[in-house]
This record gives sequence, structure tokens and C-alpha cells, in this order.
Amino acid sequence: MAEHHIRCTVNGQARRGIVESRTTLADFLREGLGLTGTHLACEHGVCGACTVTVDGRAIRSCLMLAVQAEGATVTTVEGLAGADGTLSPVQQAFMDAHGLQCGFCTPGFVMSVTAFLEANPDPTDSEIREGISGNLCRCTGYQGIVEAVRLAATRLRAAEVGA
Amino acid sequence: MKAAPFDHHAPETVAEAAALLAEFGDEAKVLAGGQSLLPLLSLRLTRFEHLVDVHRVAELHGITRTDDALRVGAATLQAEAEHDAVVAAAVPLLARALPHIGHFQIRNRGTVGGSLAHADPASELPTVALTLGATFEAASVRGTREIAADDFFTGTWSTALAEDEILVGTRFPVWAGRTGYGFAEVARRHGDFALAGVAAAVALDADDRITRVAVGMLGVGATPVRAGAAEAALLGTAPDAAAVTEAARAGMAALEPADDLHATGAYRRRVGAHLMETALGAAIEEARRG
Amino acid sequence: MSAPAAGRYVGQAVQRKEDPRLLTGHGRYVDDIVVPQMLHAAFVRSDLPSARITAIDVSAALELEGVSAVFTGADLNPGAGTMQPSMMAENPAAVVAPLTPLAGDDVRFVGDPVAIVIAESRALAEDAAELVVVDYEPRDAVASMEAALADGAPLVHPELGGNVASDLALPEDPELEAIFASAAHVVTERIVQHRHTPTPMETRGVVASFDPVTDQLEVWLSTQGPHEARRTFARVSGLPERHVHVRMGDVGGGFGQKFFTPREEQTVVLAAKRLGAAVKWIEDRRENLLAANHARSDVATVSLALDAEGHVLAAKLDHLEEAGAWPVGGTGGVGPFVAMLFPGPYRIPRIWWRSRVVWTNTAGRGAYRGPWMFESVAREQMLDVAARATGIDPLELRRRNVVGDDEQPFTMATGMTFSATTSATTLEHAARVIGYDDFRAEQARARAEGRLLGLGIGLYIEPTSTPAATLGVEAATVRVESGGGVTVFLGTAAHGQSIETTMAQVVAEHLGVAYEDVRVVQGDTDRTPFGGGTGGSRTAVIAGNATREAALKVREMVVGVAAHLLEAAPEDLEVHDGVVAVRGTPVRNVSLAAVAAAVHNAGTGLPPDVPRLLEATGRYQTSSPTWSNACHICTVEVDRITGQVEILRYVVSEDCGRMLNPMVVEGQVHGGVVQGIGGVLYEHFVYDDAGNPLTTTFLDYLVPTAAESPRIEIDHVVTDGPNPEGVKGMGEGGAIGSVPAVVNAVADALAQVGATVTEQPLTPVRVVAALEAAGA
Repeated sequence: MAEHHIRCTVNGQARRGIVESRTTLADFLREGLGLTGTHLACEHGVCGACTVTVDGRAIRSCLMLAVQAEGATVTTVEGLAGADGTLSPVQQAFMDAHGLQCGFCTPGFVMSVTAFLEANPDPTDSEIREGISGNLCRCTGYQGIVEAVRLAATRLRAAEVGA
Repeated sequence: MKAAPFDHHAPETVAEAAALLAEFGDEAKVLAGGQSLLPLLSLRLTRFEHLVDVHRVAELHGITRTDDALRVGAATLQAEAEHDAVVAAAVPLLARALPHIGHFQIRNRGTVGGSLAHADPASELPTVALTLGATFEAASVRGTREIAADDFFTGTWSTALAEDEILVGTRFPVWAGRTGYGFAEVARRHGDFALAGVAAAVALDADDRITRVAVGMLGVGATPVRAGAAEAALLGTAPDAAAVTEAARAGMAALEPADDLHATGAYRRRVGAHLMETALGAAIEEARRG
Repeated sequence: MSAPAAGRYVGQAVQRKEDPRLLTGHGRYVDDIVVPQMLHAAFVRSDLPSARITAIDVSAALELEGVSAVFTGADLNPGAGTMQPSMMAENPAAVVAPLTPLAGDDVRFVGDPVAIVIAESRALAEDAAELVVVDYEPRDAVASMEAALADGAPLVHPELGGNVASDLALPEDPELEAIFASAAHVVTERIVQHRHTPTPMETRGVVASFDPVTDQLEVWLSTQGPHEARRTFARVSGLPERHVHVRMGDVGGGFGQKFFTPREEQTVVLAAKRLGAAVKWIEDRRENLLAANHARSDVATVSLALDAEGHVLAAKLDHLEEAGAWPVGGTGGVGPFVAMLFPGPYRIPRIWWRSRVVWTNTAGRGAYRGPWMFESVAREQMLDVAARATGIDPLELRRRNVVGDDEQPFTMATGMTFSATTSATTLEHAARVIGYDDFRAEQARARAEGRLLGLGIGLYIEPTSTPAATLGVEAATVRVESGGGVTVFLGTAAHGQSIETTMAQVVAEHLGVAYEDVRVVQGDTDRTPFGGGTGGSRTAVIAGNATREAALKVREMVVGVAAHLLEAAPEDLEVHDGVVAVRGTPVRNVSLAAVAAAVHNAGTGLPPDVPRLLEATGRYQTSSPTWSNACHICTVEVDRITGQVEILRYVVSEDCGRMLNPMVVEGQVHGGVVQGIGGVLYEHFVYDDAGNPLTTTFLDYLVPTAAESPRIEIDHVVTDGPNPEGVKGMGEGGAIGSVPAVVNAVADALAQVGATVTEQPLTPVRVVAALEAAGA
């Protein structure tokens, strides 16, 4: 059973670890690095709870091997808020719009939405619903989440104009 | 839900990858984006002793355009192809099919070649390749060869690639002149595998007569299929709406989709005919504007 | 009627205390728990629906490096206590399936746990599980109620002598038959609701650690009820309750699936005890779909007799409920409750019912958001069937039969009494918001264009906070800490309900402190008072009123101390945001921090008769359900080619009493509605005729995404609930009203072309089949 030494940058920090070939990035983040904000809810690539960004792209960390992250730059939900705990605009919008209840799907949504709004800063409602359709939530009926995405988009655009 | 153990190999050239495949034979599988393979491994529905991971093979990446073809390297991300202006201009049908694959997070990791080689009959890219008559470039320690799309898809999740072969790239023909394209599918939920879907391409002469037509379907057979009867009915004609409807009916009548958990064959036939009419109608309309 | 005024905190949409940690990845779910030298478990499960076990060979699994143990039924079953929940375990008359930790001599559904493997990692445990060789002698299985009830059907539980778990019926009623014989209209339909599964985003999970020296069992659990879990673990393990400590952190949803303490969690506890070690088991999604409790799966033949004006005269309900093999909570049967609630908010003067619960070789039934809700499905569908038969508009038919707001308390023909509900009002509100008459005109225009629009109504009353067994009581302890901050200890078990927020609002309101200064502690059997758990729409009513009482008691203590410090009469003092002041003379004040300092410091010179205590426990007890109600109306378009259903608008008019936090209430409604929609249109757990499950991944069991979910419009009707806080329960309701509303809307659309559907799910294939059968 092959083991691999890997090095990557996670949330701005150089990290390393020893993983089996079969270890997914999600399991490495959770168990190897203790970053348990990335959640596993299906482990077969449907629910989106494990979404992180790798080299700037939002991906499902249950569908990537840890060994494939060698040299990559990874951002998890733990990497979004400021060092003082200040929520990112997307996180703050989820809080303001009641975009979460049990919170289990939330890290995946926050990561997906952050990437989605970078690609599409001014989405329509149907683009929002399509854009978050790769993440499953069982609590909110998505209404608070859709509202949060709209709110975050508005605030991010306003900040862009103001900057 | 953890995969059974395997060894991960990360070759940096096609030659190295081919050598690994030759060495390990049926114990090895090519790992591209992993968006289909890793779930199967995690669910322990399949297992391999060795995964030959090609995402670091530089020569498998990239999109190049020649006069009459668009070549997409096998390890090119679906997301890269989806947002590539060259793809959209050269092979609009490919550009229109790509957003239907899963969700953006899947396309951010999934590769064009991986989807083609996985050959799921309900997925989009194999149908586009078959419809346009793409050419597949394969490599092994025995050398390289080209495989025509008509010969490539041999069954559900199986292709003409030999055990020791790796898909290197795919060349999609670029259609010239007054052309139009349509892609339509029906799925249970957004992003799901299609219950049925249609890719259509047409070229018209100056009198709006169809000089070239290709119609392919997904989700209605063990492989992607061409709707030859529809093509035959339309070629050389300048069809009105009723003729398109009739061609779609004829195209679907020749196919025999099967029942599965999500839909009956009869349902797929009904919806398939409707989608074919929609996709063909859109393609013809677009070509007429061109 | 006038709505009660919102308070300074209660009734406000304050931001949630839970959110910052959950949004930043700092939540702590059971899979985040790491205990030193913790081992990992995986189950070996049956892949046959019914079979005798002839041999189990664990030797190859044990030889794998890193494997600590493999236990089978022979190891763990002897000596295990009852695995039933308290309400069954303590009821000697309960009919229960003979559940053991692991399979005994046979397996009874695909997924039945046969062995548990304990290893250094989950991956290794799964590797070893594959090496356990089980020899089976297959038997015929019954995979549906129809098969189970057939003559000579194989028995799911041979020791019980039959496949019917319970069969209750009212006596034959000649007067009712006479009513049917002479009624102007009689309608009869067979209504089918298919099998779902709750699918919380977090699967089940447990970490159990046993110390053989201290005999202490420490358990971290994903649960809706740590106190019930503690009792269950004590029973099954034989340990005294005081040696069992159950904790829960954040829990990623439950929807009923985690209300009782399931079999696998109990088995893991036994394995940990046997090994004297810490063992973690995190259910994977396939296991969750395969073997965690399923829900719904009901069939009924229903008849209504109506007079010429559309008044319902009588009803007959012959109901079958599928229990599966190992239902959670005994038979899992809520069948009689379905029948008892069938009349709902309507005057139905006479009823006959029969209720049977049937074993099958499938995953066991359990609680799921409104476990009895088939009553609303059957009743509301039948009202629309009756509307079409009588030619009376379905809204008008409901108006003629609904119990008026001022006609309560009202006792149904089944004997259930409800009060303080506003069904008639919510019916009118929902109809107004959706624009009922305008929609009917639009529907006719669309029909002329060949498009099929439809409208459906789901009107229901919901018994919340039903006081079964230990569920009628909650306690809350409120403590002012030495620095003036406030901590609340609750026996609740939040898993998305915002209890840290809403109960902090209740305390802030009634104790008179700032919301920010209140912290809620729950989910720990060593720290919190006993509670029945969070479920059954019971927290707001029972825990909420207990919390209110505790806060008021502590307020009195605070005022008592402050009166001495301010040299004022207690009745002249008011408490707001942590400051006690003399009414009318606000400069004469003392902070709660100063009061707390005085209480906790012997040198402050308080007279000896002032109790040095700022802590009190409140209890609230209820002996009957608190009724809430709502009306759901939605409009849909049915695609005539693809059979796909698009929800155009969705309106809920609801009365859950005084809202502790309207944002939280609306979130619960939104989530419940989409679960109901998912159930009608997408979710279906399928077995083939032989009993093989076909939907054990999220690729096949279709949970709706945002793209399939409508925007939901909510209209609040607020009337005081019959308790001091004025609240009514509401967590489940969204999932109740939505099902009949959507089914009726699709049926309404199809009826325009003569097509009918009475069976769920309304998949594209089924809708197309209905259209084709009608020649449309």
C-alpha cells in the first residue's frame, strides 16, 4: 500500500503530510490537518458538502486524491474569515439572510458561492439557483441561501464600485 | 465509504503513462479528473491495483484549432473548454453541451478526455463526439493510432481503447458555411444524467437546403447513438416545421431505449422525439440566420 | 383578531448565535471528535432480503493488519438488554420485533447488520469487512405490503406468527353504512404515498469510549435526544444510567431519524464496552440510505359521503402502514394516529376506520417530520376528488366543511379535541395571497392554449408537543454567573432549530438581560436537566415555557438582591438589558454584574435572609397537544410532453402562535415545504420485487436542489397559543401541508384533460402515463 509525502499550501500556510494513495483530499484535510470544517455527506460527489477551492477552482474534495494536491493551493472554509474572526462577505450574507440551519452543508455552500460570485458577480435568481444546484441542503429549502447569495452579490458589487 | 487500496502513479509524459499501463495490464486504470472513477472506487463498485494519474502530463492539456478541426487534449478540463472562445467559435455544439455536465464543481475537475473514455451513454460529450464524427487519438507502448467515433463507443462504459492504451486527444470536425446547432436534454434534476438528450448539427446551402446533418442521442441506448433515420429524412430538403417533426418521429422510431429506474423506454422515446424536434428546429433556425 | 405584540427580544428576528461557528468551519459535529487511540467501526451487512445464516468466517478479516476485532451476533447479542426506545421498553403491552444488536440466526432486510469490524481506520475496517465471509441460505422475502399480506406469504418475523404487526378497527357501523347508502355523493379512491427516507445531510454517527476501571461510558452522538440515548445505552449495556454520559455537539439535521437511538449506535456502544476502548462509527451515505430508518409508505382506501351541497357526512378509511423489518420505535406504527387525525380541520360527523401495520423485508420505518401526516395526504386528496365529483370548487368545498375559528374547542368524530386554531382564516388568507380567482381565470386561458396549469390546497391542523411518555415535560435551569453573564441549561437537542438563539431570546426577555449576554448549553446529560429531545414540534412550547419560568424565577431573585442594594421596594424595580433600576428614577440602578458580585461575595453586607442564589429551574408540563395550523396553496404547470412539474407559486398561511423569532419560523417552513415537494416529485426509495434496494446513492435517491425548489411566500396569522409564552409548535408542519398541496395541484392540472393521479411520487413517467391513459 503506497504512501506519499505531500506538500501543499492550505489557507495560506505551507502544510505537509503522509497519505495513502487512496486518501481523498477531504479526508486529508479533516484527519491529516484537523481542518474539520470541510464536511463529508455523501463521499460520492453529489452533495457538495466537501467543496473547497484548489488553485482557485471550487471542487469536490471527496473526488480528488490527497496525493493529487501536491504543490497545490487549497482554500477551505476555515480560510475565508479574517484573522480576527470577521466573516467574509459571503459568510456574513448567509448569517444575515438565515442561509443556514443545521450548518452541515454550509461550508460547502459558502465555498461554492464564493467561487460562483467571482465568476458571475451579478447573477439573476435563476442563475443563482442553477449556480448552487451542485450543493444539497436539507434544512432551508434553499430560500435563505438564495437570498444570501443575492445579498452577498449586491454587497460585493457595491464594495467593488466603492473601491 | 472508502476506496479499497491502490497505488497511485503520476507519470509526466504520455510515454511514461503508456509504459505503466503496459506494465500493469488489467490491474491499472487511467485516472484523469476522477469525477466518475473516484465515486466508483469509493463505493467499491470497481477496484484497480494501480491508478495511472495523467493530470501532470503536460502534452495532454490544451486546445488547438486547425482549419477543419478542433483538437482538445484529453486532460483538458471541461471548465476550460466550456469557457474557451476558440471552442465556442469552432465547435459550438461542444460549447453548448459542456454546461450540461454535472455542476460547475464537477467541470472544474472533470476532463474532456475522461468523460469520453468513461463513455457513459447518458453523458453529453460522447454524444457530441459521435454526432460530429470526432477522431480519437490513442497511444500505447505499441505506438499511436486514430479511432473514428463510429468505432469508439462499444458499449456502456466501454470503448475501443485497449487496456494498455491512453486517450491522448480528440479532434472535433469544424463545420463550415451556414451551420446551426442544437442541444437539448431532459433530466430529473438540474445536473443529473439525462433521461434523454439530443445533439444536432446542420449545414444549409444558399437555398436553405440541408447539405449536411448529424443527430445524436444520449440516454437512449447502451452507447450514444446516431438518429440515422432523421438525418436521412432531412438531408437535401428545406424542411418546414412539420417535416422536422416527422423526421424526429422517424429518427426516434428506429431506436429502442430501455427501461431503468428513472424512466421507461416508452418515456424516453416520447421525450426523445420531442427533444430531437427541439434541437433540430433550433439548429435549422440558427443556420438560416447564418 | 389582534396579534400579540412582539417583545424586546421575543418576536424579533435576531441573528443566530449558532451562525459564526457554523459559517467558519468551527462547528463541532460527531465526526470532528477525536479521542486518543480511537478505533473505527464498519458493519458487515446482509445483501439478501431474507436468509438463514449458516456460517460466518471472520478469520481472514482478523488477519488483516490493523484490525482489532470482529464481532458477530454470537458475540454481542447474548446479554444485551432491550434495544427499544423508552416508550416501548417501558410498555409491557408493546408488540416489538425481536431486535438484537447484530443479526442472530437470520437476516431480514438488505442492510441488516451481521458483524461489526473494529480497526485502526475506517478504510481498514471497510477492507476487513469485505473479508468477512457469510454463508446464507436464501429465503423468499416480502418486499411490499401487498406481498406480505398475500395468503401463504413468507413471514418477516417467524416468531411473531404473521406479517401484521397490529390491526385495529372500529366496530362495524350500520348507521354509517346507511349514511353512505343515502348520500347524494359518494367518492372512493385508493391513495398511495411511497417510501422516503429522511436523509439529514449529516449521517448518523457515534463515538463511544468505555473505561473498564471506572465502568464509565462516554458517548458523543449525533442525536435529537441525548437523555433518551443515555437511557437506551444504559438498558442495552446493563450499566447504571449514572455511568453513561452522552454528549452531542452540532448535529447536521435529523428530521426524526435521530429522535430515538438506533440499533447501530447501540451496537457500537456494546463493542466499545467489550473492547474497553474508544470506537467511532460514522455512517456513510449508502448505509444511511440503505439501513437508517425509512419513512412514509402508506396505502389507504378512503370513501367520503357528501350531501348535495358538498357537506361531508361521513368517512371510511382503511389504512395500511408499512413497518419494514426493524421499525424504529417498536412497530413504528403511527397508523391509529393517522386515523384519529383524519378528520383534520373539518366537520366530519361520522367515521369508520381500520388501521393495519405490516412487516416487510425492507428497512424499518421510523419517524420523519410529521410521521402521521398521511392523514392530511389522504384527506386533502379526497376533498379534491369530492370537489371534482360534486362540481363544487375545491376552495368552496373546504369553506363549507372547515371548522370555524370560533367553533372551538371542537371534538372530531374520532374523539380528538382541538382548540385555538385558525384553519378557516388561513384558508382565506392563502387564497387571497395566491389570487385564487385570478388564477382560475389564468388557468382557463392557459388551457385554451393547450397548457396545463393547476392549483392545489393543503389545509391541516397539527398536534404539536404531543405529551407521549417522557415527551410532555421539559426543564430549564437559568443561572446568573458570578460576573453577571447568564447561562441556560436545557435538555433540548438542537440540530438546526436555532434553539441557542430562541431560548436566549426568551431568557433575555423575561430575565431582563441583553441577548448577547445569554449562552445556552444543551446536549450533555451530565450538565443539563432531563429532556425528551428535540422533535415532535415540542421545543418552543415545552422547553420555551420551562425557560420562561426559570428566567422569571431568577429575575425575582435578582430583584430581591437589587432591592437591598438600591434600598428600594422590589415592586418598584424593573430589569432591562442587565440593569436593575427604580421605575421612574433610572439613575438609581445597579447592574446585574453588581448584583451577581454581591451575591457571590460574603463581604457585601446583604442581610442574611436574602438567598445567595441566582439560579433556578423551571419546568413546564403539558397533558394535551398544542394545535397549530396552516394552509398551503401552490400552483403548477405540467409539461404535457415530458410530464415534468414546475411549481409556479407557493403560498403558506400559517398560525404557530406567538413567534419567538420570525426568521427562524420562516426558515422552518421553507425547509419543511421543500422536503414535502421533494417527497412528491423526486424522492423515492425503491425496492425491486425481490427486496433488493435500488436507490442507495445520491445519484438515485433524488433530493431536490435549489433549481427544483420554488420561492415560498409566507403569511403569518398570529394568535396566542394556550400557554404562558403564547407559542405553538411548528417544526414539522411545512412537510405536512406541502405534500397534499403539490399532489392536488398536479391532479388539478391533469383533471382538465381527464387524467387522474392518486399515487405518489409524481415522477415524469407517472404523469406521462396518466396523460397517455386519458388519451391526452
